[in-house]
Amino acid sequence: MKYITTIDNQEYTVEILDDGVVTVNGKTYQVNFESIDGQPLYSLLVNGASYESMVYATEEAWEVLLRGYLYKATVEDEREKRLRVAAGGSQAQNAHFHLKAPMPGLVVAVPVSEGQEVKSGDVLVILESMKMQNELKSPQDGIVKRVRVQAGQSVERNQVMLSVHAPEA
Amino acid sequence: MFTKVLIANRGEIAVRILRACRELGLQTVAVYSEPDRQALHVRYADQAYCIGPGASRDSYLRMDKILEVARKSGAQAIHPGYGFLAERADFAQACLDEGLAFIGPKPSAIAAMGDKIVARETVRKAGVPVVPGTEGEGGLNDDELLAIAPQIGFPLLVKATAGGGGKGMREVRSLEEMPALLRAARREAEAAFGDGNVYLEKLIEGARHIEIQVLADSFGNTIHLGERECSIQRRHQKLLEESPSPFVAGDDDLRRKMGQVAVRAAEAVGYVNAGTIEFLVDADKHFYFLEMNTRLQVEHPITELVTGVDIVHEQIRIARGRQLRWKQEDIQMRGWAIEARVNAEDPYNNFVPSTGKLNHILMPSGPGVRVDTGVFSGFEITPYYDSLIAKLIVWGETRAEAILRLRRALEEYRIMGVRTNIPFHQKLLDSHRFMAGQYDTRFVEERFSPQYSADRREEGEIAAILATLVAHSENLQASNIVRRGIRDTSNWKWLSRWERVHR
Repeated sequence: MKYITTIDNQEYTVEILDDGVVTVNGKTYQVNFESIDGQPLYSLLVNGASYESMVYATEEAWEVLLRGYLYKATVEDEREKRLRVAAGGSQAQNAHFHLKAPMPGLVVAVPVSEGQEVKSGDVLVILESMKMQNELKSPQDGIVKRVRVQAGQSVERNQVMLSVHAPEA
Repeated sequence: MFTKVLIANRGEIAVRILRACRELGLQTVAVYSEPDRQALHVRYADQAYCIGPGASRDSYLRMDKILEVARKSGAQAIHPGYGFLAERADFAQACLDEGLAFIGPKPSAIAAMGDKIVARETVRKAGVPVVPGTEGEGGLNDDELLAIAPQIGFPLLVKATAGGGGKGMREVRSLEEMPALLRAARREAEAAFGDGNVYLEKLIEGARHIEIQVLADSFGNTIHLGERECSIQRRHQKLLEESPSPFVAGDDDLRRKMGQVAVRAAEAVGYVNAGTIEFLVDADKHFYFLEMNTRLQVEHPITELVTGVDIVHEQIRIARGRQLRWKQEDIQMRGWAIEARVNAEDPYNNFVPSTGKLNHILMPSGPGVRVDTGVFSGFEITPYYDSLIAKLIVWGETRAEAILRLRRALEEYRIMGVRTNIPFHQKLLDSHRFMAGQYDTRFVEERFSPQYSADRREEGEIAAILATLVAHSENLQASNIVRRGIRDTSNWKWLSRWERVHR
């Protein structure tokens, strides 16, 4: 099975062959790969070199935490890549962003209001949890839509608090 | 003399205190909130009592319930740990009123050091240098502030009296620019806090946060245990501490002076038990009193490792009316210790706290490594309390050895189920400025950010293999569920396997 894996705009063509053999950009490696304790924690032996890593699935990418460094990787097979290129898209540019509470907590402030234009990095909600106030910021430019929370309100983990829609093209 | 101690705290510090009590042959009583039923401090204690629901104000801050447990359990002493009720003079007094020994200072010392203005005045009178400023002189008007400014000296800071979070704060470099900056600061303070009052404080450039541990018995003996360097902070939260300080090491004269001043500050309030004097130290090695923490500190273990003094044992001995076992000249600092605070927060996402069940923990161990923690595999990190999961403390003959050992230990540490700041510490230890010991309190916020990947290209290929293998195996699982016909065993057998996998 052949995949195109991209980290920081660098593409790796990774082919997984049956008997513990992987090729990366044409180079062949002996690999041995195990998950530990049913966790997203993996032990990998590559030509005898031993690595251990946490690999998390997020909505946009695989996050690989390896020796203190975090790599964000997208993995596509050839068909997926062909479809994406044919559709003219670069990698998923989400039109709508839904701000979910990353943890249960108390909304301290919502410094934006519906219809307001925001830039990437603007603070959308200040959420208090574990005795700390956390500024939750917009990952993209856009317009604030559907503010569903207000100051003083408790929220559950993953509760959608508001949305940021991409500006109309 | 007491033989049973109630620990009015939770988490790693409750466990730390329980251990000291055990080692001294004392009985222990734990108190816990409902979500902490399975916590380590409950499991390790001789007795344990629930004192209410998760929110601190309904449990760990309920003096009445804690005192009631003391009565019920027959505890004769209370150790408050840090945080919660540790620096509440009224709680210390209530313990004494109940006939309980309070393992800490006298209520009067807590009160004196708890009020910033009183504390500044008290230590200033005892000849301890304080950061020059007008805090505590009440709301002065612009003309008065402009008149005082040259006496304080530039650069200085205009700070909001009601302030916090940098709101209403302005850096002033000369008298000429001051009126405009005063107006701006007042305007901002008024908008943020509804109070436009401001005060002036000398700006200590390149300031380091260095603190001195003191121990005092009830016979008038006060000694210090050297310094701790605590400049690695983010939003005033300490993240990593070391002892000795790379800034003080090699300057015995500075250490002696700071130590003497710290002892004088403690004596000025009749201090008994363990306490810490925090100083700001400027690039020219002038040091200024910041505040005194009238309790055990989170970072006390690094002092224990370099001095060999078990501070919690000493706290208990002092509270039992014993004399200090050391004189100042007996205290020698040997080697180097560093503590990394492992917090449940995501360093790649603005340090947002992370909650959830800890599914898998592999703790570092081996020579020179100590882990103080209150969690275990299966424990749930709740949003009620602070995010400290564990303190990873290492010792080495030299600073370089300690850094290499901490790197080794951080790489060994595995905590699954929540995000942790371990990668932050790993990056910090790789930074050249940290290695050279050249950092101040602004270092983390201004010069250091734990960015994504990229800077370690050579392992990008390994990361790509990992991501691909994980994605591939998940694809296989998903397609197995869809493609019924081609399973190698009967559907029923396969189903039970599938359920096992997906439980």
